[in-house]
Amino acid sequence: MIGVSDAGPLGGDPRDERAASEGQHHARGDWRTLDLAALDVGAERAYWIALQTLPGMGPVTFARLLHAFGSARGAWEAGERLLPLMARQAPDTAAVLRRLLRDGAETVARRVSRMTMGVGGVILTALDNSYPRALTDVDPRPAVLYAAGDLEAFDATCVAIVGTRRASGYGRAAAAHLADELGRAGAVVVSGLALGIDGEAHRAALDAGGRSIAVLPSPLGRIYPPRHRELARRLVATGGALVTEIGPGQSIGRPDFARRNRIIAGLASAVVVVEAPNRSGALLTAQAAIDYGRVLYAVPGPMGASNSEGPNRLIADRQADLITSPAALLHQVGVHRPSGPISVASLSESEGLVLQTLLRRSASIEELLEPTRLAPGAVASTLTLLEARGLVTSYGGVTFHPTVVARRIDREAVKADAPSASDAPA
Amino acid sequence: MLARMLSASILGIDGVLVRVEVDVAFGLPGLTIVGLAGSAVLEARERVRSALRNGGFELPARRMTVNLAPADLKKEGTAHDLAIGIGILAASGQLKVQHEDVLLLGELALDGQLQPIAGVIALVDAARGAGIREAIVPLANGGEAAVVHGVTVRPAATLGDAVAHLAGVRSLAAQQPARSAVSAPAGEIPDLEEVIGQSSARRAVELAMAGRHALALCGPPGVGKTLLLRAALGLLSPLGDDEAIEVSRIYSVAGLLDRRTPVTAARPVRAPHHTVSTQGLVGGGAQVRPGEASLAHRGVLLLDELLQFRADALEALRQPLELGSVTIARAEGALRLPARFQLLAAYNPCPCGWRNADGGNCSCEDGAARRYAARLSGPLRDRIDLFVTLGEAGFGARRTGSEPTRSVAARVCVAVERQAWRAGRPNAELSMSELLASGTEAGVAARLETFGRQLGVSRRRLVLALRVARTAADLEGVDRIAARHVQEALTYRPAKVAP
Repeated sequence: MIGVSDAGPLGGDPRDERAASEGQHHARGDWRTLDLAALDVGAERAYWIALQTLPGMGPVTFARLLHAFGSARGAWEAGERLLPLMARQAPDTAAVLRRLLRDGAETVARRVSRMTMGVGGVILTALDNSYPRALTDVDPRPAVLYAAGDLEAFDATCVAIVGTRRASGYGRAAAAHLADELGRAGAVVVSGLALGIDGEAHRAALDAGGRSIAVLPSPLGRIYPPRHRELARRLVATGGALVTEIGPGQSIGRPDFARRNRIIAGLASAVVVVEAPNRSGALLTAQAAIDYGRVLYAVPGPMGASNSEGPNRLIADRQADLITSPAALLHQVGVHRPSGPISVASLSESEGLVLQTLLRRSASIEELLEPTRLAPGAVASTLTLLEARGLVTSYGGVTFHPTVVARRIDREAVKADAPSASDAPA
Repeated sequence: MLARMLSASILGIDGVLVRVEVDVAFGLPGLTIVGLAGSAVLEARERVRSALRNGGFELPARRMTVNLAPADLKKEGTAHDLAIGIGILAASGQLKVQHEDVLLLGELALDGQLQPIAGVIALVDAARGAGIREAIVPLANGGEAAVVHGVTVRPAATLGDAVAHLAGVRSLAAQQPARSAVSAPAGEIPDLEEVIGQSSARRAVELAMAGRHALALCGPPGVGKTLLLRAALGLLSPLGDDEAIEVSRIYSVAGLLDRRTPVTAARPVRAPHHTVSTQGLVGGGAQVRPGEASLAHRGVLLLDELLQFRADALEALRQPLELGSVTIARAEGALRLPARFQLLAAYNPCPCGWRNADGGNCSCEDGAARRYAARLSGPLRDRIDLFVTLGEAGFGARRTGSEPTRSVAARVCVAVERQAWRAGRPNAELSMSELLASGTEAGVAARLETFGRQLGVSRRRLVLALRVARTAADLEGVDRIAARHVQEALTYRPAKVAP
């Protein structure tokens, strides 16, 4: 284990690694003090790409190599002398390095490039012009990104919507509502393609005709979670993008999920936390947003609901702005909703009554009885009708939420007269 | 000399007539029983020997051969003892039988007393089917046996009494058929007015009990799922006369019949624990016995914590839910056990119970929760008419004013009568064409198709919804199913799983 003490402490979290290595000039791994402009893209690119394939290579280690050897090419030519600078080595790192050196950087880079293109992706190094500009605030910066889709999406106004995988109906409806408004206003919704809030945000943005970027915790060729493969395909097909710092064929682990959250925050100009219990990954994104100077918003939730502990605390600690309506968010990120209210085929009296009640507040059948003065059977019957029309949805079957379409209906069309006798069973 | 007696054996829940042939001939003294006799039947040798001797009869010192025909049917149980004993007396010339063609049933005690046996109703019914008009049964089985119309049942206390009757010396009195006793269902049944809020679930219970629809309640712990299901039992309609006999027959075979009230109007309620085996749930075993599904025939199968049941046990319920019977394949052939029960079930959405509850704190791993929910397979889901997801009663719930069972029962009663008058069967058993023929408002069938497409529900779900809609119309007292009934019925489809 010669040289490990020189390389700084072992550790999985890039933040720890960075903090601990500060002050040791030859071992520092920060990106702020690197002068990338001084490097020759043409000469360096292959070495950047090739070095990422080394097991245990992360953005901090890579920055450390750049500091120590001046360039990736310098590090490559140093050969096995770079090993002592790698804090996290896999058992086979040395063997892989020898093989890489034998093959040559050009060959390795071509191989990675071919694999990336095989799944419809491109490689973006931090030296490239097409590398997302917003990520220059991110530290540790992803040295190499693998992206698929339309890279112009990175240049639009990006807003991240993040939250727990175990979302409640309220959280899902809130994420969908915000993403819908953002999507129609032309903003790009950024999230992590996870189940729950993430998926809801991507989907609603696409349904609204908008674009969306997903930052994956896995290689491009292995969409995680598999259930969102179709969503990922749709996302690319509609002018959005998939992006990841995990190279093709690399295995993924738990830290990869936490690390991709900093990229989500970095890509966006504003981050919205919808639902996040304590210790949720979405709170890592929130912390990253604060670190990178992004505007942080949080959707408030009921007192005592564990899913809302995160956003509520962010609001209470004045770390995040409370979102009162999607309109306020649009205004603050500087995008505008173009279209006016949509019209629907006229609603019956009971439909109007139920929908208007739901637009004020999502409710269960039980909670709809009092304000609508309808019989339980009539409420149920009306809800089915509204569901069939795509105006109302229910995630768990208890609480009914107006859909994003319902929110765009002209309020005038939603009448709230007294229910007619014919709607109520005897 | 040869004697022929009549006995019967149980096959599934049906009786099969058995001819007991006894031959007494010169040879080495002994008693041999042939004809696929099970161990309990073979032991009849010892019981019959002692009972004859202690009853004051002579055991002939001859070679006695007993054949149970049909010889290819496996015979179990102790019901043949009486026929064997009397056969020996007749074959040895001690008894000259005056009454031919009498079904003889009963287990012999060593002192000649007749002990009760299981399945008497089915056994006597088999005799009636074969044209037999008279049966001698153990005293304790008398009331039960008399349930079968068309057979004179004479209960006997001892072998001697039976012999005296058959010899024409002293006649046994015929058992009078028991009147259908109306007994209250067992256990405490809570009143629906004890359920706070949950109007949607209470409405679903009303629909379920009015049309005998399968109902499943899903929700976090402590919201009142079990209370609702138990309260639902207060809305059970009484059994019809024929149904009551069907039920008693199954209980008689299972040996679970209360002999003091062999026939009751109360629908059976079975609530097996979730550790029950597949065999225990749908029946089976070396000697086929009815399972809980058959014991709940014409009644209620109440499965609390539905997803805790073994997966294979749950899947085995698909057939009875669809066909109203269980088929058990044996080497000797398939047996059909009736199992037309109403399923009332409750389950938690995930192992901890708080999945998808607004403001809930689910602590389950995603994979674990998904696997748990998947225990309710698609095919099983498509055989449950009504699904309700319960939330917590919440702040907006009315604390008082829940409708009492009494007033709901009045509506249910009317709906049940309408169904009896229309088809003689509950709505849950009607086919699509029967439902359409029962009367729909113009355009309802087309509306149903449209809803199915818009809501993304299966064809099978649409049939279930139309059945529930029929019940909703019946509860309202209208003849034709309207769009509002279909819409309401569709509310009770299973909640879509959030991705």
